[in-house]
Amino acid sequence: MATVNPISDITPASAPPGAGLLVLLAAMPPEQLESVLAHLVASFPEEDLLVATPDENAADSYPDLRIVPAPATKSSWELTAADFVNAYHLAGKNEARAILMLGPESSSLGSPALRDLANAVITSSTDLAIPCYDLPPHAALVNSAILYPLSRALFASRARFPMAIDLGLSLRMAERLASAAQRFTPPSQGEVFLWPINEAAVAGYAIDEFDVGPRVLPQPEDPNLNTIFPMVTGSLFADIDAKAAFWQRPRLLPPARYSTPPAPSTEAARDIAPMIEAFRLAYDNLQEIWRLVLPPKSLLGLKRLSLANAAAFHMPESLWARIVFDFLLAYRLRTINRGHLLGALIPLYLAWVASHINITASGTSPARHIEAVAAAFEADKPYLVSRWRWPDRFNP
Amino acid sequence: MQTVLAIMLQQTQPQPLQPFYANNATIWGHMSEALHQSLYRVLSLLIAILPGILAFFTAVAVCTLIGLALSVLLRRGLTAAKFDEHLAHGRGNVDWAPSASPTVLIARTCFWACVLLGLIIGASAFDAAYATATTLPNSLLPYLARVVGAVLLLIAGTLIARFLARSILIGAVNMQLQYARFLSLGVKWLVLVLTAAMVLDHLQIGGDVVVLAFGILFGGIVLTLALAVGLGSRDLVSRSLESHGERSTERSAAPPNAPTTGADDSIRHF
Repeated sequence: MATVNPISDITPASAPPGAGLLVLLAAMPPEQLESVLAHLVASFPEEDLLVATPDENAADSYPDLRIVPAPATKSSWELTAADFVNAYHLAGKNEARAILMLGPESSSLGSPALRDLANAVITSSTDLAIPCYDLPPHAALVNSAILYPLSRALFASRARFPMAIDLGLSLRMAERLASAAQRFTPPSQGEVFLWPINEAAVAGYAIDEFDVGPRVLPQPEDPNLNTIFPMVTGSLFADIDAKAAFWQRPRLLPPARYSTPPAPSTEAARDIAPMIEAFRLAYDNLQEIWRLVLPPKSLLGLKRLSLANAAAFHMPESLWARIVFDFLLAYRLRTINRGHLLGALIPLYLAWVASHINITASGTSPARHIEAVAAAFEADKPYLVSRWRWPDRFNP
Repeated sequence: MQTVLAIMLQQTQPQPLQPFYANNATIWGHMSEALHQSLYRVLSLLIAILPGILAFFTAVAVCTLIGLALSVLLRRGLTAAKFDEHLAHGRGNVDWAPSASPTVLIARTCFWACVLLGLIIGASAFDAAYATATTLPNSLLPYLARVVGAVLLLIAGTLIARFLARSILIGAVNMQLQYARFLSLGVKWLVLVLTAAMVLDHLQIGGDVVVLAFGILFGGIVLTLALAVGLGSRDLVSRSLESHGERSTERSAAPPNAPTTGADDSIRHF
């Protein structure tokens, strides 16, 4: 998401300085904006609230609220580097004590959710308040398959949505994110994602997660998985590569927030045949590329998987963890072109999705399976660390 | 008629005989003289360009040694100055491979720049010596330069062919095209044929035959691919059009802010 107007060009806010909470809103239709503002007013005293929105007419439409213009961005579905830079600059200008960033479609969030996220960074010592969405069982699958397990295994954070689009930030957290984002802000960089959990973990800042209930997650304008998947995973892999000195040290995972067992899934079985077919087609054609990245043991696992029928299609969690780690290593070592590498991961991800759907259809709750996957990543972390340090060591 | 016969008889009159060995000795003499002259010319050329060859190797060796020394100095200096850490702090060191940190890259660049400089100096000295000394038709050296150019073309063409083949293979597999491998191989051979034609043309081998053969091969491959992709992609195109139509209908039918419930059946990757 490239910034259209640099922050320095924004007209000075008419609001008096010293606002407690700066709420930075993404561009949204007027009816959604009205709903979000109503939730905000219901949650916070108006004198402490400063809203920044790209909507130019908002200040006239809601004269009771202190509203300042925010730079218009090409925000469509995710927070990007430019958003964090804008948030920090606006907070500095208006002397805000904390920031609440709300992404597109945030009108689906309730008042308690907004209150929890904001209060965490205003009243407590939390630096990063991150939401835990209540999503449909088969939503945000890239997050469940790769982003969450990797983030948990390497950065010792249980935050379920590392790519959350609503965040509560303390000022120092915003400053850190803005400085991390500065190197990506030139327009040539295009859409660049930041990973707030990784940044907070490296800085040693406090992270807190809050249940915020259901939320409509905006989808990318171009729903083509072949385009977005390499962009997202490549961004996370690059961030992990840059922070290798941090995550190689062993760290204790904080205890789980709640221990109530998730309810078993009542989902009806879906048609996973197209995904399995995609995997089999890739198995027939991409072996020469996978062979450069994966060890023989993983290739054998994939061979077994390709021979399994749809009902018995189950990718073991350990195999998936090993595959992702090997792709991460290949990304770091540039074994093959990075675009090719991430493209070759897509059919394997689809195989994981098919397996996940199969498992949840058999009665296991999606949350339990995702936790099992994340645990497999944690268990296999020594392999990643070992091969990261000695990539040429024998690997059967 | 009589005149003609008279002339013929005159021509067939026996010449005075000369000893056979004398004729043979003349041939050997000429051959020996030609060989001697050739040997003399080649040896003269070698002796004349020997300083140039020596200058070439000396320049390369000296510049390599200088490059080695500079590289070691740079590596130590930059490591002592913590150059990598400063760069990572300033710009975000997300793209450096572990075996190619900025310090190592700079040191290597310096080394190879020195080697390249040595090669240029050496080649220049050799060229000067050759140009002043040669009395032979100097067709070998320029052709060697062409051969080097052809080898570079071949390497570049092979690399590009492999890159494109992989790109197309992965893209086609992800688009679930059953003929992904065929498409990838087709493009690979297309580039390889183009490369081969360029190499032969660069070497001036084959002349029009190469151009003709290339045209036929290239056209054949393109036609085959077009037919295969055109016939094989009907399903893909119709699926794409259908899904596009369905998406448009859904967008127009559904309210823009319809909340997603827990019973939503769709699979969402993001």
